[in-house]
Amino acid sequence: MARIQLENVTKRFGKVTALDGISLDIKDKEFFVLFGPAGAGKTTILNCIAGIQLPEEGVVKFDGEVVNLVDAAHRDTAMVFENYALYPQMTVYDNMASPLRSKLYKKDEEYIKNKVQEVAEMMKMENLLERLPSQLSNGQKQRVAMGRALVRSPRVYLMDEPLAHLDAKLRNSMRTELKAIQANFGTTSIYVTHDFMEAMSLGDRIAIVNKGKIVQIGTSDEIYYMPCNEFVAQLMGDPEINIVGGKLKKEGSGYFFTLNDVAERTYQLPEDQDLFRALDEAGLEDIELGIRPQNVKYSFEPKDDYTKCTVYSYESIGNKSVIVAEIGNLQLRMIAPNGLTVKIDQDIYVKLELDHAIFFNLETKEYVSRYNEAAVKALAAEQEG
Amino acid sequence: MNTASKRLGRIVQNGLLIIYAIFALFPLVWMLILSIKSDAEMYTTTFVFSPTLENYKAVLLESDYLQYMLDSLIVAGGAVIVSVVAGVPAAYALARYNFKKKEDIAFQILSFKFAPEILVVLPLFMIYQMLGIYDSYFGLIWVYQLISMPLLIWVVRGYFEDISVEIEYAAQVDGYNWYQIFFKNLIPLIKPGLVSAALLAFIFAWNCFTFPLMLGGTNVQPITVAITKFLGTDSAHYGQLAVAATISALPAIIFALCIQKHLVRGLSFGAVKG
Amino acid sequence: MKEQKKNSAAVSELNVLPFKTRALPYFIVAPALIITIGIMIPFIMAIYYSLTNYSFRMPTYSFVGLKNWIEILSSSEFWKAVWVTLRYAFFSTVIEMGLGMGIAILLNNLNNKFSKIMRVALIFPLMVAPVTATIVWQLMLNNSVGILEKFLNIFGVYNFPWAASPSTAMMTAVMIDVWVNTSFCMLLVLAGLQSLPKSPFESAKIDGGSVLFNFWNLTLPMLKPSLYIALLFRLMAALQEYAIIFALTKGGPGDTLMNLSLTAYQNGFQFQKFGYALPYILVLWVFINIVAKQIVKRQRAAQRQASGLEE
Repeated sequence: MARIQLENVTKRFGKVTALDGISLDIKDKEFFVLFGPAGAGKTTILNCIAGIQLPEEGVVKFDGEVVNLVDAAHRDTAMVFENYALYPQMTVYDNMASPLRSKLYKKDEEYIKNKVQEVAEMMKMENLLERLPSQLSNGQKQRVAMGRALVRSPRVYLMDEPLAHLDAKLRNSMRTELKAIQANFGTTSIYVTHDFMEAMSLGDRIAIVNKGKIVQIGTSDEIYYMPCNEFVAQLMGDPEINIVGGKLKKEGSGYFFTLNDVAERTYQLPEDQDLFRALDEAGLEDIELGIRPQNVKYSFEPKDDYTKCTVYSYESIGNKSVIVAEIGNLQLRMIAPNGLTVKIDQDIYVKLELDHAIFFNLETKEYVSRYNEAAVKALAAEQEG
Repeated sequence: MNTASKRLGRIVQNGLLIIYAIFALFPLVWMLILSIKSDAEMYTTTFVFSPTLENYKAVLLESDYLQYMLDSLIVAGGAVIVSVVAGVPAAYALARYNFKKKEDIAFQILSFKFAPEILVVLPLFMIYQMLGIYDSYFGLIWVYQLISMPLLIWVVRGYFEDISVEIEYAAQVDGYNWYQIFFKNLIPLIKPGLVSAALLAFIFAWNCFTFPLMLGGTNVQPITVAITKFLGTDSAHYGQLAVAATISALPAIIFALCIQKHLVRGLSFGAVKG
Repeated sequence: MKEQKKNSAAVSELNVLPFKTRALPYFIVAPALIITIGIMIPFIMAIYYSLTNYSFRMPTYSFVGLKNWIEILSSSEFWKAVWVTLRYAFFSTVIEMGLGMGIAILLNNLNNKFSKIMRVALIFPLMVAPVTATIVWQLMLNNSVGILEKFLNIFGVYNFPWAASPSTAMMTAVMIDVWVNTSFCMLLVLAGLQSLPKSPFESAKIDGGSVLFNFWNLTLPMLKPSLYIALLFRLMAALQEYAIIFALTKGGPGDTLMNLSLTAYQNGFQFQKFGYALPYILVLWVFINIVAKQIVKRQRAAQRQASGLEE
């Protein structure tokens, strides 16, 4: 159990800067998620915490104590590797027992046997203990890799995409299981993923990582509802958020928004005093709106306030479908039920629910404000408290 | 029609293979035949004769041939042991660490494989006489490193590179130090490759001729050199010559059979993963 | 200001691995390096002594500059040796590569029990020391006990000279080289053939390409990396072949088989003209290095091309 801090950590591999001034403060007992696209530097952050790699700049602290020069063996961490890193010549049992047999974390064989058995039951793999890694499926290997970490009670668990290769059903149950384990042990955990559902459901807090930098840190709702820029907004959410560019015009005390791609289409923005004040301050004319697919309404008949578009595609994504509608150069994603009879290129009428819109600066792509910001902030404060 | 031409093709292919097999294997068979032929029947018979072991007796018991074999064994075995002890850690470092001049060092070691042996031997002849290690086990084991060290380093380096580096990281996190990881985790993983590389290095060293011819000769005389003396005597005991050749070839062939699976990788210094 | 500096210095110290850890790789390579550097000394000495008149017969020697080099490069003995070296290397390498590739394709196509046994048995000659191989062949070629003589007698050919005649000596030496080393090329090509990916061939089957077309456009480019490796090892060895020729005729009859290696040996050890022997072999060394570099370069390019085809 430990508080983990990174201060200005920079890691280079030759000329490539993998981490660029990363600062993190992970609280004791926290379940902390690192989320970002492939190659963002998530794994390198874990490696620096584990002591596998030493950053060129900055310090890593465990409970306020600088551990830069403490080698991996002495940092008392447990790590799940993305490619499993099982010892090929050892059985599953010996793999899981390995950390308890090293000189540093030595336990007697009786204890090891009970512990391995206990973890194996939890991971539903008691029947695999005698096998060699080469005789396992990817999902099974991943569970062994997790098991090898869970037999110990380290200061921090470091998990690199530990559920990525499990099938959907097992992944859901393991997700619940993991959350429960962490709540029980109360061990600080740092969890790397590129799956947005995993990040949302597991993390007490999430750090968005991109190109070796931390983009945003916050609770899942904070990040979902108040993404600090368009990149984060697009990363969080599936199907991806719609980004709609347009012109903002103030008339009297109200604001009007004109779509860039459809000149004749102008909306009056619903009133929100806080938002309007923020927009006044920003004084922007060009703006981009982020509207989640569930906030785009559609109709196949003409309706008041609805804009005429054509269907570009209709695709099922499991228990629901996504319609992509096209108007000018603009494509809009929206959620629809399965089983509709929709033809490509047929007419569709679309309405944007502007009272859920998130406002971004067109040039910097950064967050400006949104509807009901105060409520979102209150929610976040409550979660963190 | 089509199946008939296909069958004809098979027959032709089998035929060609048989012809080559005769070329490749019959000389060895002939060597075995001559080795059990008595001097009396040597010139008069071809395949039908009464086999005898008297040539083997003459070579193994009545000449110094066993001593030559022992010399070969000591020199080749010693060379391989030195190469394993010094080469395996080097192979690991060249596989895993990024340090300055790494590729230069690796290529320098490889380039010795292609250096003409005579080029090395001429100056070494002088140096060895100065150092007093001419015609000694030590001297030959040292120069044999030219044969065994590049092979071992390059092949074993490839086997180390095949092991995912995360396995080492995992063991570090599990609380093991470098030596424990190296000996408990890595060596068992590369063992089949290491053993076959070592055996192949032994075969190369066993078969080496130029170095012992010029840097050994009286005190230390491996088979490859000794056998040319059988050739030189014009008393023409062809049966004994055949025995000498058989005994010289046998260990290498047996070892090669043991390491079949790794042979291609070893022979190509890790460049072709068979 | 001062304090800040101090602080940043403290931070940077924490970002440098302890000396022990940094030195570890060099420490691990050291034994191998010391041994190899020990072996490198002769190369440097060879260059120096090639500029002297050092001889084993005389107690002293003096620096003679490029005298040896000029004398050798303008002698017909040298150019004769170059010609022998190149011819021997060319014939043995070309035959070994061609034959090895052919046998590998046969073994790969047939895939029956006989071919499986041959895959193992054909390795035997490769494991025989070149000197021993020469003796094995002398037992075959000998006019009194050799089986080939008896075989040729059937066709009315008596006392075929083999290594004894200048006109057939080269052929005989190359034949022994081929006997030993064809398996090497065969093994490498066979390994290449068996690791060929299936998918490009399946799509070619659908496209309906002819066997020859597929061989030329798919198989050969994907085999090229292995072929270059085989070429590299065989050519380098053939250029400096010593054991087979030495055991067969010691370079004779006359100077028929005196290649650069044997000429250097003869000058150095038989005539004891040490300084005079070295230029022969140094020229060979330089030549080998140039050729090896070229082959390695092409091998890498072929490797890139082949991995492109796989996708």
